[in-house]
Amino acid sequence: MAIQINLHKTHRRYTGGKGSVDVEGKTVGECLKDLIRKYPPLGKEVFDKNGKLSGIVEVYLNGATAYPDELAKPVKDGDKIQLVYFLAGG
Amino acid sequence: MLTANERHRYDRQIIINEIGEEGQEKLKQAKVFVAGAGGLGSPICLYLAAAGVGTIRLIDKDTVDLSNLNRQILHGTADIGHLKVDSAKDKLALLNDAVKIEAISVTISEDNINSLIKGCDLIVDAMDNLPTRYILNKAAIEKGIPFFHGAVRGLEGRAMTIIPGKTPCLKCMYHGDVPKEKFPVIGVTPAVIGSIQATEVIKYLVGMGDLLTGRLLIYDGMSMEFREFKVSKNPQCEHCGEKRKRS
Repeated sequence: MAIQINLHKTHRRYTGGKGSVDVEGKTVGECLKDLIRKYPPLGKEVFDKNGKLSGIVEVYLNGATAYPDELAKPVKDGDKIQLVYFLAGG
Repeated sequence: MLTANERHRYDRQIIINEIGEEGQEKLKQAKVFVAGAGGLGSPICLYLAAAGVGTIRLIDKDTVDLSNLNRQILHGTADIGHLKVDSAKDKLALLNDAVKIEAISVTISEDNINSLIKGCDLIVDAMDNLPTRYILNKAAIEKGIPFFHGAVRGLEGRAMTIIPGKTPCLKCMYHGDVPKEKFPVIGVTPAVIGSIQATEVIKYLVGMGDLLTGRLLIYDGMSMEFREFKVSKNPQCEHCGEKRKRS
């Protein structure tokens, strides 16, 4: 059993249209790195040039916000990570 | 005390058990602050005015542009070049002339926000940028008045209600800034989110229902799905957490 990452639709162009990807890791950060290992072009969407989580990406873990310290949050098999795109328009 | 005309005008909502004449009177006595007369501000103001909210203080610095008209339904072709708040005031008066519209054309800033919201019962977020949302969020917490957040992009939107001292705030969940952009949007998206915000405002003012607190509601018009995510108070929040208390 793995951890499932559900992608925002803007990210699915990098996964051949797949909306969710199974990954492995002990933290949210490790899971995201595994995701990017599988789909390298996603890296620039999820992380900024300093390797920090992009300011336009929100992370939810099992339906709850993972903020703050998202990348350090521990995960276990069966957990679900959701990547959400920030919205600021009105 | 409602007049006979008001009882007639609002009859269909007065017969909602949870509203009644008492709730309608609460709406009449309310003064709400709406930050923005654009995509979100249009449905918010229209539905609050239609519902009989007594006073709407509407803030927007911009003039109407042709490119606004796919979504900012308070304005029309004849309003191009006019102040949005003036255009909005005219339309809202046509809808319900009993509602007092305080139209103010100014840029919201940290320097003027406290004077702008003075006397208002709550703040509604109809802005198009995150920095101003943070100014509104912080002011709402400092004044202890509710803040009704909404934002849109494309066919997606989000909404959350913040009750200072009780629920997580906008800063509890946002960790960074969003690059300024000409964001894509079609009018039906702010129509959905603005209507949700107006619903929350009405519920709060009347004192009915369950508010969208501690829950971020995300709408995706493309897949026609609503999702909810749990948001918790961040003890280290700069606006409502320990950091603020120490400062």
